[in-house]
Amino acid sequence: MSFRKRGIVVPQAGPGPGSPNPLGRPNPIPGSTAAAAIPKHPPGTRPSPLDGRLTTSTGTRSLDALLAGHAGLALGTSLLIEESGTTDFAGSLLKYYVAEGVVQKHTIHVLGMPEGWGRELPGLGSGDDGSKGKKVKVGEEKMNIAWRYERLGEFGATIGGGARERNFPQSTPTSSSEPAIFCHDFDLSKRLILPSPSNIHFIPLSAQPTLTFIDSSPSLSPFTKFIHHLTTNLQNSPPTTIHRLAIPNLFSPALYPSHTSNPTHILPFLHTLRALLRKYPTRLALLITLPLPLSPRSTGLTRWIELLSDGVLELSPFPSSAIVAKPAAASTVSEEPPQGMVNIHRLPVVHEKGGGGGGGSGMGDDLSFSLSRRRGMVIRPYSLPPVKGDGEAKEEEGRGLEVGGRRVRKGDIEF
Amino acid sequence: MSSRIPHLLEPYLSLPPEASLVLLTSVLGASTNWLVLRFLHSALINNDASSDLPPDEQTKVVLVSFMRDFAFWKENAKRLGLDLEKHAAKKRFSFVDGLSGLFLPSQQKTSVKTGEQVLTNPGLSAVSSMIQNSINNLKAAAGSGEKILLIIDQPDLLLAAVGEIGPTNLGDMLLGLREEAHALVVTLSADQPLTLTQQTCLETDHAAFLLSTAHQADFTMNLRLLDSGTARDVSGVVRVSIGEQELENDNLQKRIEERELLYFVGGDGGVKVFERGQ
Repeated sequence: MSFRKRGIVVPQAGPGPGSPNPLGRPNPIPGSTAAAAIPKHPPGTRPSPLDGRLTTSTGTRSLDALLAGHAGLALGTSLLIEESGTTDFAGSLLKYYVAEGVVQKHTIHVLGMPEGWGRELPGLGSGDDGSKGKKVKVGEEKMNIAWRYERLGEFGATIGGGARERNFPQSTPTSSSEPAIFCHDFDLSKRLILPSPSNIHFIPLSAQPTLTFIDSSPSLSPFTKFIHHLTTNLQNSPPTTIHRLAIPNLFSPALYPSHTSNPTHILPFLHTLRALLRKYPTRLALLITLPLPLSPRSTGLTRWIELLSDGVLELSPFPSSAIVAKPAAASTVSEEPPQGMVNIHRLPVVHEKGGGGGGGSGMGDDLSFSLSRRRGMVIRPYSLPPVKGDGEAKEEEGRGLEVGGRRVRKGDIEF
Repeated sequence: MSSRIPHLLEPYLSLPPEASLVLLTSVLGASTNWLVLRFLHSALINNDASSDLPPDEQTKVVLVSFMRDFAFWKENAKRLGLDLEKHAAKKRFSFVDGLSGLFLPSQQKTSVKTGEQVLTNPGLSAVSSMIQNSINNLKAAAGSGEKILLIIDQPDLLLAAVGEIGPTNLGDMLLGLREEAHALVVTLSADQPLTLTQQTCLETDHAAFLLSTAHQADFTMNLRLLDSGTARDVSGVVRVSIGEQELENDNLQKRIEERELLYFVGGDGGVKVFERGQ
């Protein structure tokens, strides 16, 4: 029936409507080859501009840009975010990561947290309704860049801008439909409405005491349930589903019994996760947050946890008093004052090869982060704001002293 | 070619003399993977160039990796022009996977390819016997008299993650394996938290194992980050030091000398090694 010859040429938007094919009927091949040429990626993923491996967004644009030029978290790798102090900035990074997964319809597995945690995810921001609005926003940002922040503009152009450009060719072939958004904007004041068959799985620790005050047996690994859940879920889901694993607040005493920090439990668990990540290199990504005050970086256990992760970032927030003092000094309208510093200890893929040392990743730069309601977490190079009365000091210095017909500046005399 | 085997490192990467132990240490951010790949390359490829050697003089390699899977090694060896699968088919290379199944419970048998074995039991005897198995497989392939280079990548994971293994037992296992192989290359972590602050069992065991291995080693290559912070064109520092008992041994000393070099690993996996100030 489908092979019946029809005399009608079906109008096709495909390539070459001006060249009628000799057979006088629509040739199905051009359309299908075009479709085959565009590789179909699962939603929320795109190939890395460096080596083509699939990446997914962490839900934070500036964090995506940091990850060694891959413009996203490479699937099959893990990221450990450590945080010193009593704040929970890492927790909000994790929430963006999970929220991005919910929006992209990925399957999410959260270890240890109760289901109520899922209702606190940030909702989609209003500026997310199209790429047009985003472009305007970028333009606005550029207008506000002062001379002092020119380097920051460069930073954005090489990393953020590059990522945007790369995004366009991908979306052009499907120009009729809305271009796929890789990373959404979230608004912290809104709450994400979860789809009714929720795609988030909350897996408790298997040794978690169920409202009984009997201590669980310390010889049993509390992670077996999670691993079991993961392996069955990965085997039974179609190969195009992306799974996001989230492990919030590792070793937090509110969630974890004390014996979890026994190396013979946690290290095999992380090793198994690493094995699973490598086994499903196109379907799985992992984000762990670890509060540092309870397990400082100077301990061997924390170092092993770091060694078993592919990427290690450390957030060190400023004391709250320092942040309050900053805005008075100088904050342009668009720039939030930095709330802390970011240290990169290891990045996925690059460091595994033995590399390091920059390469457009911002390694070695002083990086700061700020968290705001609308823009989410923004990581950018740290620079001190211009000091008030800076101009006068400069003028004075410029005048200098005239000694023997030669201009001698203050600095010269002192040396 | 400079990107394949760095010229300055050539004397260190060539096949070590019989019964020797080479220790490579890494820290977070300065991994030894590129160095291991170059050991593989020089053992498997450089012999090809002088293929007038009789086949029983060729070097064979057994690679045991506890932190990385075969796909990683395959992909990065390919960038060096080294086809590990081809060598595995020729029975010159064998891989023991200590990542995929070590702690995974109830894994169904996956199709095991030639020259690839998956460890499923973290017990020392199981690990040791599987490595011995791979060595014997290679030995059985073509007559006796060939040299087998054994490379073990991060056996310290066993020490950290499996409770009852002590540093002496693990050391004994290495000693036993050295009897089977021509030479042994081991990579270990030497991060400061693992070696200096010896407060927990994990730390003392690691430090004890690392130190005892370092004392046995004929030479060690220590990788660390640049002391002065990150730089755009330097990935880290490689320091080569010769073991104590070998200092009197003229044979080895003629071949290698103690030195400290800088290295840079590019995004494509190519490595440049250079002196300070070059």
